[in-house]
Amino acid sequence: MNKIMALTKKELHSYFSSPVAYIILIATLSLFNVLFFMLIDQNREVSLRDIFQVMEFMFIFIVPLLTMKLLAEEKANGTMEFLLTAPLTPTMIVLGKYLSMLIFYSLLIALTGVFYFIVEYFGEPDPYSILSGYIGIWLEGAFFIAIGLLTSSWTRNQIIAAMTSYLILFSLYFSTTFTKYFTGFAENALIQLSTRTHLENFAIGMITASDIIYYLAGIVLCLVLTRISIDHRLWQ
Amino acid sequence: MWLSLLHLFTPYGLTKHTVQITANYLFIKPKSICSCYTVSSFTPLLKGNLVTMLTVEHVSKNFGSFQAINNVSFEIKQGDIVGFLGKNGAGKTTLMRIVTSFLAASSGRVFIDGEDITKNSLNTRQKIGYLPETPPLYNNMTISQYLKFAAEIKNVSAKKQKTQIAKVLEECNLEHVKHKNISTLSKGYKQRVGIAQAIIHEPKLLILDEPTSGLDPIQIQQVLALINNQREQRTVLLSTHTLTEIEQIAQRILMIKSGEIIIDESLKTLLKSEQETNQTSPITLERIFTDRHTLSSPSRNIAVENNGEHV
Repeated sequence: MNKIMALTKKELHSYFSSPVAYIILIATLSLFNVLFFMLIDQNREVSLRDIFQVMEFMFIFIVPLLTMKLLAEEKANGTMEFLLTAPLTPTMIVLGKYLSMLIFYSLLIALTGVFYFIVEYFGEPDPYSILSGYIGIWLEGAFFIAIGLLTSSWTRNQIIAAMTSYLILFSLYFSTTFTKYFTGFAENALIQLSTRTHLENFAIGMITASDIIYYLAGIVLCLVLTRISIDHRLWQ
Repeated sequence: MWLSLLHLFTPYGLTKHTVQITANYLFIKPKSICSCYTVSSFTPLLKGNLVTMLTVEHVSKNFGSFQAINNVSFEIKQGDIVGFLGKNGAGKTTLMRIVTSFLAASSGRVFIDGEDITKNSLNTRQKIGYLPETPPLYNNMTISQYLKFAAEIKNVSAKKQKTQIAKVLEECNLEHVKHKNISTLSKGYKQRVGIAQAIIHEPKLLILDEPTSGLDPIQIQQVLALINNQREQRTVLLSTHTLTEIEQIAQRILMIKSGEIIIDESLKTLLKSEQETNQTSPITLERIFTDRHTLSSPSRNIAVENNGEHV
Protein backbone atom coordinates (compact mmCIF):
# COMPACT_ATOMS: atom_id res chain seq x y z
CA MET A 1 0.00 0.00 0.00
CA ASN A 2 2.90 2.36 0.81
CA LYS A 3 4.31 1.87 -2.66
CA ILE A 4 0.92 2.57 -4.28
CA MET A 5 0.64 5.76 -2.21
CA ALA A 6 4.19 6.76 -3.22
CA LEU A 7 3.24 6.38 -6.88
CA THR A 8 0.02 8.32 -6.31
CA LYS A 9 1.87 11.17 -4.59
CA LYS A 10 4.43 11.25 -7.39
CA GLU A 11 1.67 11.52 -10.00
CA LEU A 12 -0.20 14.24 -8.13
CA HIS A 13 3.06 16.14 -7.71
CA SER A 14 3.62 15.89 -11.44
CA TYR A 15 0.13 17.32 -12.20
CA PHE A 16 0.38 20.18 -9.78
CA SER A 17 3.99 21.07 -10.55
CA SER A 18 2.94 22.08 -14.07
CA PRO A 19 0.31 24.66 -15.03
CA VAL A 20 -1.70 22.03 -16.95
CA ALA A 21 -3.61 20.81 -13.87
CA TYR A 22 -4.56 24.35 -12.82
CA ILE A 23 -5.57 25.30 -16.36
CA ILE A 24 -7.78 22.22 -16.67
CA LEU A 25 -9.34 22.85 -13.24
CA ILE A 26 -10.03 26.54 -13.90
CA ALA A 27 -11.19 26.07 -17.51
CA THR A 28 -13.50 23.16 -16.63
CA LEU A 29 -15.06 24.90 -13.64
CA SER A 30 -15.54 28.13 -15.60
CA LEU A 31 -17.25 26.24 -18.39
CA PHE A 32 -19.48 24.37 -15.92
CA ASN A 33 -20.43 27.67 -14.27
CA VAL A 34 -21.48 29.21 -17.55
CA LEU A 35 -23.48 26.12 -18.53
CA PHE A 36 -25.01 25.90 -15.05
CA PHE A 37 -26.36 29.44 -15.17
CA MET A 38 -27.57 28.94 -18.75
CA LEU A 39 -29.47 25.79 -17.75
CA ILE A 40 -30.94 27.35 -14.59
CA ASP A 41 -32.01 30.39 -16.57
CA GLN A 42 -33.60 28.22 -19.27
CA ASN A 43 -35.28 25.55 -17.09
CA ARG A 44 -36.23 27.72 -14.10
CA GLU A 45 -36.05 24.72 -11.76
CA VAL A 46 -33.94 23.94 -8.70
CA SER A 47 -32.38 20.75 -10.04
CA LEU A 48 -28.99 19.64 -11.22
CA ARG A 49 -30.31 16.86 -13.46
CA ASP A 50 -29.37 18.56 -16.73
CA ILE A 51 -26.03 19.78 -15.45
CA PHE A 52 -25.01 16.17 -14.75
CA GLN A 53 -25.68 15.27 -18.35
CA VAL A 54 -23.72 18.28 -19.55
CA MET A 55 -20.89 17.26 -17.21
CA GLU A 56 -20.91 13.75 -18.65
CA PHE A 57 -20.50 15.10 -22.18
CA MET A 58 -17.76 17.51 -21.09
CA PHE A 59 -15.83 14.76 -19.32
CA ILE A 60 -15.65 12.79 -22.57
CA PHE A 61 -13.44 15.63 -23.84
CA ILE A 62 -11.58 16.40 -20.61
CA VAL A 63 -10.69 12.98 -19.16
CA PRO A 64 -8.55 11.77 -22.11
CA LEU A 65 -6.51 14.98 -21.82
CA LEU A 66 -5.84 14.12 -18.17
CA THR A 67 -5.12 10.42 -18.65
CA MET A 68 -3.14 10.41 -21.91
CA LYS A 69 0.21 10.89 -20.17
CA LEU A 70 -0.28 8.40 -17.33
CA LEU A 71 1.73 5.53 -18.83
CA ALA A 72 2.61 6.88 -22.30
CA GLU A 73 4.86 9.55 -20.78
CA GLU A 74 6.68 6.98 -18.60
CA LYS A 75 7.37 4.91 -21.71
CA ALA A 76 8.51 7.87 -23.78
CA ASN A 77 10.87 9.15 -21.03
CA GLY A 78 12.34 5.73 -20.23
CA THR A 79 11.08 5.87 -16.64
CA MET A 80 8.87 2.82 -17.22
CA GLU A 81 12.11 0.80 -17.11
CA PHE A 82 12.82 2.35 -13.72
CA LEU A 83 9.38 1.38 -12.39
CA LEU A 84 9.39 -2.12 -13.83
CA THR A 85 12.87 -2.97 -12.54
CA ALA A 86 12.02 -1.64 -9.05
CA PRO A 87 10.36 -4.05 -6.60
CA LEU A 88 6.88 -3.04 -7.82
CA THR A 89 4.22 -5.25 -9.36
CA PRO A 90 2.35 -4.06 -12.47
CA THR A 91 -0.80 -4.02 -10.29
CA MET A 92 0.83 -1.50 -7.93
CA ILE A 93 1.77 0.70 -10.89
CA VAL A 94 -1.76 0.51 -12.32
CA LEU A 95 -3.42 1.25 -8.96
CA GLY A 96 -1.01 4.07 -8.08
CA LYS A 97 -1.62 5.80 -11.41
CA TYR A 98 -5.38 5.21 -11.29
CA LEU A 99 -5.73 6.46 -7.74
CA SER A 100 -3.87 9.67 -8.49
CA MET A 101 -6.16 10.52 -11.37
CA LEU A 102 -9.20 9.55 -9.34
CA ILE A 103 -8.14 11.98 -6.59
CA PHE A 104 -7.65 14.76 -9.13
CA TYR A 105 -11.04 14.02 -10.68
CA SER A 106 -12.72 13.88 -7.25
CA LEU A 107 -11.29 17.32 -6.50
CA LEU A 108 -12.73 18.63 -9.74
CA ILE A 109 -16.14 17.13 -8.91
CA ALA A 110 -15.99 18.41 -5.32
CA LEU A 111 -15.42 21.95 -6.55
CA THR A 112 -18.72 21.78 -8.48
CA GLY A 113 -20.43 21.17 -5.11
CA VAL A 114 -20.99 24.91 -5.01
CA PHE A 115 -23.83 24.38 -7.51
CA TYR A 116 -25.79 22.56 -4.81
CA PHE A 117 -25.53 25.49 -2.40
CA ILE A 118 -26.62 27.89 -5.14
CA VAL A 119 -29.77 25.93 -5.99
CA GLU A 120 -30.47 25.42 -2.30
CA TYR A 121 -30.27 29.19 -1.74
CA PHE A 122 -32.91 29.81 -4.41
CA GLY A 123 -35.26 26.91 -3.63
CA GLU A 124 -35.67 23.53 -2.03
CA PRO A 125 -33.88 20.97 -4.15
CA ASP A 126 -34.09 17.24 -3.45
CA PRO A 127 -30.70 16.53 -1.79
CA TYR A 128 -30.98 12.77 -2.42
CA SER A 129 -31.39 13.10 -6.18
CA ILE A 130 -28.45 15.52 -6.25
CA LEU A 131 -26.34 13.11 -4.19
CA SER A 132 -27.37 10.28 -6.50
CA GLY A 133 -26.38 12.40 -9.51
CA TYR A 134 -23.00 13.10 -7.97
CA ILE A 135 -22.44 9.38 -7.29
CA GLY A 136 -23.34 8.66 -10.92
CA ILE A 137 -21.05 11.31 -12.40
CA TRP A 138 -18.22 10.22 -10.08
CA LEU A 139 -18.60 6.58 -11.14
CA GLU A 140 -18.77 7.58 -14.77
CA GLY A 141 -15.59 9.66 -14.47
CA ALA A 142 -13.88 6.77 -12.69
CA PHE A 143 -14.85 4.55 -15.65
CA PHE A 144 -13.57 7.10 -18.17
CA ILE A 145 -10.27 7.34 -16.27
CA ALA A 146 -9.87 3.55 -16.35
CA ILE A 147 -10.41 3.66 -20.13
CA GLY A 148 -7.86 6.48 -20.45
CA LEU A 149 -5.32 4.57 -18.39
CA LEU A 150 -5.80 1.51 -20.59
CA THR A 151 -5.23 3.41 -23.84
CA SER A 152 -2.22 5.15 -22.30
CA SER A 153 -0.67 1.72 -21.69
CA TRP A 154 -0.88 0.85 -25.37
CA THR A 155 1.43 3.53 -26.74
CA ARG A 156 4.26 5.90 -25.92
CA ASN A 157 2.57 8.67 -27.90
CA GLN A 158 0.21 10.77 -25.77
CA ILE A 159 -1.77 12.06 -28.77
CA ILE A 160 -2.47 8.50 -29.94
CA ALA A 161 -3.51 7.59 -26.37
CA ALA A 162 -5.95 10.54 -26.21
CA MET A 163 -7.39 9.85 -29.69
CA THR A 164 -7.95 6.17 -28.86
CA SER A 165 -9.73 7.20 -25.64
CA TYR A 166 -11.96 9.59 -27.60
CA LEU A 167 -12.85 6.81 -30.01
CA ILE A 168 -13.87 4.44 -27.20
CA LEU A 169 -15.69 7.09 -25.13
CA PHE A 170 -17.66 8.46 -28.09
CA SER A 171 -18.58 4.91 -29.14
CA LEU A 172 -19.92 4.22 -25.64
CA TYR A 173 -21.71 7.56 -25.38
CA PHE A 174 -23.37 7.45 -28.79
CA SER A 175 -24.07 3.72 -28.94
CA THR A 176 -27.81 4.36 -28.40
CA THR A 177 -27.84 6.38 -31.64
CA PHE A 178 -27.40 3.15 -33.61
CA THR A 179 -30.29 1.28 -31.99
CA LYS A 180 -32.62 2.15 -34.89
CA TYR A 181 -30.56 -0.14 -37.13
CA PHE A 182 -30.90 -3.13 -34.80
CA THR A 183 -33.60 -5.10 -33.04
CA GLY A 184 -33.82 -7.57 -30.18
CA PHE A 185 -30.62 -8.51 -28.36
CA ALA A 186 -28.33 -6.21 -30.38
CA GLU A 187 -30.59 -3.23 -29.75
CA ASN A 188 -30.76 -4.00 -26.05
CA ALA A 189 -26.99 -4.54 -25.90
CA LEU A 190 -26.35 -1.14 -27.48
CA ILE A 191 -28.70 0.52 -24.98
CA GLN A 192 -27.04 -1.20 -22.04
CA LEU A 193 -23.57 -0.38 -23.37
CA SER A 194 -24.23 3.34 -23.49
CA THR A 195 -23.00 5.45 -20.59
CA ARG A 196 -25.97 7.78 -21.13
CA THR A 197 -28.45 5.02 -20.25
CA HIS A 198 -26.83 4.43 -16.88
CA LEU A 199 -26.19 8.05 -15.91
CA GLU A 200 -29.80 8.99 -16.63
CA ASN A 201 -31.00 6.85 -13.74
CA PHE A 202 -28.52 8.41 -11.31
CA ALA A 203 -29.43 11.91 -12.53
CA ILE A 204 -33.12 11.40 -11.66
CA GLY A 205 -32.22 10.06 -8.20
CA MET A 206 -32.51 6.37 -8.98
CA ILE A 207 -29.61 4.16 -7.90
CA THR A 208 -29.92 0.65 -9.28
CA ALA A 209 -27.63 -2.34 -8.83
CA SER A 210 -27.32 -2.85 -12.60
CA ASP A 211 -26.04 0.71 -13.10
CA ILE A 212 -23.48 0.36 -10.29
CA ILE A 213 -22.38 -3.03 -11.64
CA TYR A 214 -22.03 -1.51 -15.14
CA TYR A 215 -19.56 1.11 -13.92
CA LEU A 216 -17.67 -1.13 -11.47
CA ALA A 217 -17.35 -3.94 -14.02
CA GLY A 218 -16.12 -1.46 -16.62
CA ILE A 219 -13.53 -0.06 -14.20
CA VAL A 220 -12.27 -3.48 -13.11
CA LEU A 221 -12.15 -4.75 -16.70
CA CYS A 222 -10.10 -1.75 -17.87
CA LEU A 223 -7.69 -1.98 -14.90
CA VAL A 224 -7.17 -5.71 -15.47
CA LEU A 225 -6.59 -5.09 -19.19
CA THR A 226 -4.08 -2.35 -18.32
CA ARG A 227 -2.22 -4.75 -16.06
CA ILE A 228 -2.20 -7.37 -18.83
CA SER A 229 -0.99 -4.74 -21.27
CA ILE A 230 1.98 -3.90 -18.99
CA ASP A 231 2.62 -7.59 -18.37
CA HIS A 232 2.50 -8.44 -22.04
CA ARG A 233 5.17 -5.84 -22.80
CA LEU A 234 7.20 -7.05 -19.89
CA TRP A 235 7.17 -10.74 -20.69
CA GLN A 236 6.89 -10.69 -24.48
CA MET B 1 49.59 14.31 1.64
CA TRP B 2 46.62 12.47 0.19
CA LEU B 3 48.67 11.36 -2.81
CA SER B 4 51.44 9.94 -0.64
CA LEU B 5 48.83 8.07 1.36
CA LEU B 6 47.39 6.66 -1.83
CA HIS B 7 50.77 5.46 -3.04
CA LEU B 8 51.24 3.57 0.22
CA PHE B 9 48.37 1.29 -0.74
CA THR B 10 49.39 0.51 -4.33
CA PRO B 11 51.22 -2.75 -3.53
CA TYR B 12 47.92 -4.15 -2.20
CA GLY B 13 46.28 -4.44 -5.58
CA LEU B 14 45.77 -0.93 -6.93
CA THR B 15 47.09 -0.05 -10.34
CA LYS B 16 48.91 3.10 -11.34
CA HIS B 17 45.82 4.15 -13.29
CA THR B 18 43.67 3.86 -10.19
CA VAL B 19 45.99 6.23 -8.37
CA GLN B 20 45.67 8.66 -11.23
CA ILE B 21 41.90 8.51 -11.48
CA THR B 22 41.34 8.69 -7.76
CA ALA B 23 43.82 11.52 -7.47
CA ASN B 24 41.71 13.46 -9.92
CA TYR B 25 38.64 12.64 -7.96
CA LEU B 26 40.42 13.50 -4.74
CA PHE B 27 40.37 17.10 -5.86
CA ILE B 28 36.60 16.91 -5.60
CA LYS B 29 35.96 14.50 -2.76
CA PRO B 30 38.91 13.15 -0.77
CA LYS B 31 36.87 11.27 1.84
CA SER B 32 35.34 8.81 -0.59
CA ILE B 33 38.65 8.09 -2.30
CA CYS B 34 40.24 7.19 0.98
CA SER B 35 37.55 4.63 1.73
CA CYS B 36 37.79 3.19 -1.78
CA TYR B 37 41.53 2.60 -1.40
CA THR B 38 41.19 0.94 1.95
CA VAL B 39 38.63 -1.49 0.63
CA SER B 40 40.17 -2.34 -2.71
CA SER B 41 43.50 -3.04 -1.04
CA PHE B 42 41.89 -5.82 1.00
CA THR B 43 39.62 -7.22 -1.71
CA PRO B 44 42.01 -9.98 -2.90
CA LEU B 45 42.17 -11.41 0.62
CA LEU B 46 38.41 -11.88 0.74
CA LYS B 47 38.07 -13.61 -2.62
CA GLY B 48 38.26 -17.17 -1.38
CA ASN B 49 35.08 -16.88 0.72
CA LEU B 50 32.92 -15.05 -1.77
CA VAL B 51 29.56 -16.35 -2.93
CA THR B 52 28.11 -16.18 -6.41
CA MET B 53 25.97 -13.07 -6.76
CA LEU B 54 24.79 -13.48 -10.34
CA THR B 55 24.40 -16.67 -12.36
CA VAL B 56 23.33 -16.58 -15.99
CA GLU B 57 22.57 -20.07 -17.32
CA HIS B 58 22.19 -20.74 -21.05
CA VAL B 59 20.21 -17.57 -21.65
CA SER B 60 18.93 -16.83 -25.14
CA LYS B 61 16.65 -14.06 -26.34
CA ASN B 62 14.90 -13.80 -29.68
CA PHE B 63 13.05 -10.81 -31.08
CA GLY B 64 11.05 -12.51 -33.83
CA SER B 65 13.62 -14.19 -36.06
CA PHE B 66 16.48 -12.05 -34.71
CA GLN B 67 18.55 -13.74 -32.02
CA ALA B 68 19.86 -11.00 -29.73
CA ILE B 69 21.38 -13.33 -27.10
CA ASN B 70 22.60 -16.83 -27.91
CA ASN B 71 23.08 -19.37 -25.11
CA VAL B 72 25.00 -17.09 -22.75
CA SER B 73 26.30 -18.44 -19.43
CA PHE B 74 28.51 -16.83 -16.79
CA GLU B 75 28.79 -16.22 -13.06
CA ILE B 76 29.78 -13.17 -11.09
CA LYS B 77 31.15 -13.44 -7.56
CA GLN B 78 30.21 -11.13 -4.73
CA GLY B 79 32.34 -7.98 -4.62
CA ASP B 80 33.53 -8.15 -8.23
CA ILE B 81 33.46 -5.19 -10.57
CA VAL B 82 32.90 -6.71 -14.00
CA GLY B 83 33.33 -4.77 -17.21
CA PHE B 84 30.75 -5.83 -19.78
CA LEU B 85 32.05 -4.92 -23.20
CA GLY B 86 30.74 -5.16 -26.71
CA LYS B 87 29.90 -3.11 -29.77
CA ASN B 88 26.58 -1.32 -30.10
CA GLY B 89 23.94 -3.94 -30.88
CA ALA B 90 26.03 -6.79 -29.48
CA GLY B 91 23.37 -7.63 -26.85
CA LYS B 92 24.69 -5.89 -23.72
CA THR B 93 21.53 -3.93 -22.94
CA THR B 94 19.28 -6.89 -23.76
CA LEU B 95 21.19 -9.13 -21.35
CA MET B 96 21.14 -6.47 -18.63
CA ARG B 97 17.39 -6.05 -19.13
CA ILE B 98 16.93 -9.81 -18.75
CA VAL B 99 18.96 -9.84 -15.53
CA THR B 100 16.88 -6.95 -14.13
CA SER B 101 13.59 -8.73 -15.04
CA PHE B 102 12.63 -5.99 -17.47
CA LEU B 103 12.71 -8.49 -20.33
CA ALA B 104 12.05 -12.21 -20.18
CA ALA B 105 14.59 -14.59 -21.63
CA SER B 106 13.38 -16.82 -24.47
CA SER B 107 15.23 -19.67 -22.75
CA GLY B 108 17.68 -20.15 -19.89
CA ARG B 109 17.68 -19.06 -16.27
CA VAL B 110 19.06 -16.20 -14.19
CA PHE B 111 19.78 -16.38 -10.45
CA ILE B 112 20.46 -13.39 -8.22
CA ASP B 113 22.09 -14.33 -4.94
CA GLY B 114 20.89 -17.90 -5.49
CA GLU B 115 17.26 -16.98 -6.26
CA ASP B 116 15.64 -17.58 -9.63
CA ILE B 117 14.44 -14.21 -10.98
CA THR B 118 11.28 -15.71 -12.45
CA LYS B 119 10.28 -17.45 -9.21
CA ASN B 120 10.51 -14.48 -6.86
CA SER B 121 10.90 -11.46 -9.07
CA LEU B 122 10.06 -8.86 -6.38
CA ASN B 123 12.66 -10.28 -4.02
CA THR B 124 15.40 -10.45 -6.65
CA ARG B 125 14.60 -6.93 -7.92
CA GLN B 126 15.04 -5.70 -4.36
CA LYS B 127 18.63 -6.95 -4.55
CA ILE B 128 19.38 -5.08 -7.78
CA GLY B 129 20.24 -1.45 -8.37
CA TYR B 130 19.89 -0.60 -12.04
CA LEU B 131 20.89 2.41 -14.07
CA PRO B 132 19.67 2.18 -17.68
CA GLU B 133 21.60 3.88 -20.47
CA THR B 134 19.40 6.97 -20.19
CA PRO B 135 19.04 7.88 -16.49
CA PRO B 136 15.36 7.36 -15.60
CA LEU B 137 14.65 10.76 -14.06
CA TYR B 138 11.54 12.85 -13.50
CA ASN B 139 12.38 16.35 -14.65
CA ASN B 140 9.66 18.02 -12.58
CA MET B 141 11.20 16.79 -9.30
CA THR B 142 14.12 18.01 -7.26
CA ILE B 143 16.90 15.53 -6.51
CA SER B 144 15.65 15.11 -2.92
CA GLN B 145 12.06 14.49 -4.03
CA TYR B 146 13.20 11.99 -6.61
CA LEU B 147 15.39 10.06 -4.18
CA LYS B 148 12.58 10.00 -1.63
CA PHE B 149 10.27 8.53 -4.25
CA ALA B 150 12.93 5.96 -5.25
CA ALA B 151 13.43 5.05 -1.57
CA GLU B 152 9.67 4.61 -1.05
CA ILE B 153 9.14 2.29 -4.00
CA LYS B 154 12.30 0.32 -3.18
CA ASN B 155 11.17 -0.64 0.32
CA VAL B 156 13.45 1.65 2.31
CA SER B 157 11.60 1.95 5.64
CA ALA B 158 10.21 5.36 6.57
CA LYS B 159 12.61 5.45 9.52
CA LYS B 160 15.68 4.91 7.38
CA GLN B 161 14.70 7.06 4.41
CA LYS B 162 16.15 10.31 5.69
CA THR B 163 19.53 8.86 6.62
CA GLN B 164 19.69 6.78 3.47
CA ILE B 165 18.97 9.79 1.25
CA ALA B 166 21.61 11.83 3.11
CA LYS B 167 24.08 8.97 2.69
CA VAL B 168 23.67 8.61 -1.08
CA LEU B 169 23.65 12.39 -1.55
CA GLU B 170 27.03 12.49 0.16
CA GLU B 171 28.33 9.42 -1.62
CA CYS B 172 27.38 10.81 -5.02
CA ASN B 173 28.50 14.33 -4.10
CA LEU B 174 25.03 15.79 -4.70
CA GLU B 175 24.38 17.50 -1.37
CA HIS B 176 24.94 21.00 -2.68
CA VAL B 177 22.40 20.53 -5.50
CA LYS B 178 19.80 18.43 -3.67
CA HIS B 179 17.11 21.11 -3.93
CA LYS B 180 17.73 21.73 -7.61
CA ASN B 181 15.22 20.65 -10.18
CA ILE B 182 16.48 17.66 -12.15
CA SER B 183 15.68 19.36 -15.47
CA THR B 184 18.30 22.03 -14.73
CA LEU B 185 21.17 19.59 -14.08
CA SER B 186 24.09 18.86 -16.42
CA LYS B 187 24.47 15.38 -17.92
CA GLY B 188 27.18 14.45 -15.42
CA TYR B 189 24.97 15.36 -12.47
CA LYS B 190 22.01 13.53 -13.99
CA GLN B 191 24.17 10.43 -14.27
CA ARG B 192 25.12 10.75 -10.60
CA VAL B 193 21.45 11.10 -9.63
CA GLY B 194 20.82 7.95 -11.67
CA ILE B 195 23.49 6.11 -9.68
CA ALA B 196 22.11 7.54 -6.41
CA GLN B 197 18.65 6.05 -7.13
CA ALA B 198 20.29 2.74 -8.04
CA ILE B 199 22.05 2.45 -4.67
CA ILE B 200 19.41 4.08 -2.42
CA HIS B 201 18.10 0.69 -1.19
CA GLU B 202 21.61 -0.75 -0.70
CA PRO B 203 21.35 -3.43 -3.39
CA LYS B 204 23.77 -6.33 -3.47
CA LEU B 205 24.14 -6.15 -7.24
CA LEU B 206 24.59 -2.91 -9.16
CA ILE B 207 23.95 -3.02 -12.92
CA LEU B 208 25.05 0.02 -14.87
CA ASP B 209 24.38 0.36 -18.58
CA GLU B 210 26.92 2.73 -20.10
CA PRO B 211 27.02 5.14 -17.16
CA THR B 212 29.79 7.19 -18.77
CA SER B 213 28.12 7.57 -22.16
CA GLY B 214 28.14 11.16 -23.41
CA LEU B 215 30.14 12.53 -20.47
CA ASP B 216 33.26 14.69 -20.72
CA PRO B 217 36.59 13.24 -19.45
CA ILE B 218 36.30 14.85 -16.01
CA GLN B 219 32.72 13.65 -15.56
CA ILE B 220 33.78 10.15 -16.69
CA GLN B 221 36.45 10.05 -13.99
CA GLN B 222 34.00 11.30 -11.36
CA VAL B 223 31.44 8.64 -12.28
CA LEU B 224 34.06 5.87 -12.41
CA ALA B 225 35.45 6.88 -9.02
CA LEU B 226 31.91 6.76 -7.68
CA ILE B 227 31.47 3.24 -9.10
CA ASN B 228 34.84 2.22 -7.70
CA ASN B 229 33.61 3.28 -4.26
CA GLN B 230 30.80 0.72 -4.55
CA ARG B 231 33.37 -2.09 -4.50
CA GLU B 232 33.16 -2.21 -0.71
CA GLN B 233 29.45 -2.91 -0.49
CA ARG B 234 28.28 -4.50 -3.71
CA THR B 235 28.92 -6.41 -6.90
CA VAL B 236 28.98 -4.29 -10.04
CA LEU B 237 28.22 -5.24 -13.64
CA LEU B 238 29.13 -2.31 -15.81
CA SER B 239 28.81 -1.91 -19.57
CA THR B 240 30.85 0.81 -21.20
CA HIS B 241 32.73 1.88 -24.30
CA THR B 242 35.42 3.76 -22.38
CA LEU B 243 37.90 0.90 -22.30
CA THR B 244 40.91 2.72 -20.88
CA GLU B 245 38.87 3.67 -17.83
CA ILE B 246 37.36 0.23 -17.33
CA GLU B 247 40.89 -1.15 -17.11
CA GLN B 248 41.33 0.87 -13.96
CA ILE B 249 38.36 -0.39 -12.01
CA ALA B 250 37.23 -3.77 -13.38
CA GLN B 251 38.69 -7.02 -12.07
CA ARG B 252 37.05 -9.11 -14.74
CA ILE B 253 36.02 -8.67 -18.35
CA LEU B 254 33.02 -10.11 -20.13
CA MET B 255 33.04 -9.40 -23.85
CA ILE B 256 29.96 -10.06 -25.95
CA LYS B 257 29.83 -10.26 -29.71
CA SER B 258 26.73 -11.00 -31.78
CA GLY B 259 24.91 -12.17 -28.65
CA GLU B 260 27.64 -14.58 -27.57
CA ILE B 261 30.24 -14.24 -24.82
CA ILE B 262 33.66 -14.31 -26.47
CA ILE B 263 35.79 -13.36 -23.45
CA ASP B 264 35.16 -14.17 -19.79
CA GLU B 265 38.38 -13.75 -17.87
CA SER B 266 39.97 -11.75 -15.12
CA LEU B 267 41.49 -8.59 -16.55
CA LYS B 268 44.94 -9.51 -15.28
CA THR B 269 44.89 -12.98 -16.88
CA LEU B 270 43.46 -11.61 -20.09
CA LEU B 271 46.16 -8.98 -20.49
CA LYS B 272 48.86 -11.46 -19.52
CA SER B 273 47.76 -14.19 -21.93
CA GLU B 274 47.32 -11.71 -24.76
CA GLN B 275 50.76 -10.28 -24.08
CA GLU B 276 52.27 -13.76 -24.19
CA THR B 277 50.78 -14.49 -27.62
CA ASN B 278 51.70 -11.09 -28.96
CA GLN B 279 55.04 -9.96 -27.65
CA THR B 280 55.80 -7.32 -30.25
CA SER B 281 53.71 -4.46 -28.84
CA PRO B 282 52.06 -3.57 -25.49
CA ILE B 283 48.58 -5.04 -25.04
CA THR B 284 45.67 -2.89 -23.93
CA LEU B 285 42.01 -3.71 -23.50
CA GLU B 286 41.23 -1.37 -26.36
CA ARG B 287 43.51 -3.35 -28.65
CA ILE B 288 41.99 -6.67 -27.59
CA PHE B 289 38.52 -5.25 -28.21
CA THR B 290 39.46 -3.98 -31.67
CA ASP B 291 41.18 -7.25 -32.61
CA ARG B 292 38.25 -9.38 -31.53
CA HIS B 293 35.78 -7.24 -33.44
CA THR B 294 37.69 -6.83 -36.69
CA LEU B 295 38.64 -10.47 -37.15
CA SER B 296 36.29 -12.72 -39.15
CA SER B 297 32.87 -11.36 -38.19
CA PRO B 298 29.88 -13.64 -38.52
CA SER B 299 27.42 -12.73 -41.26
CA ARG B 300 24.97 -11.35 -38.69
CA ASN B 301 27.43 -8.64 -37.71
CA ILE B 302 27.94 -7.57 -41.28
CA ALA B 303 24.19 -7.21 -41.66
CA VAL B 304 24.02 -5.06 -38.53
CA GLU B 305 26.79 -2.81 -39.80
CA ASN B 306 25.27 -2.46 -43.24
CA ASN B 307 21.88 -1.39 -42.03
CA GLY B 308 22.97 0.51 -38.96
CA GLU B 309 20.34 -1.21 -36.86
CA HIS B 310 19.19 -4.61 -35.72
CA VAL B 311 17.89 -6.80 -38.50
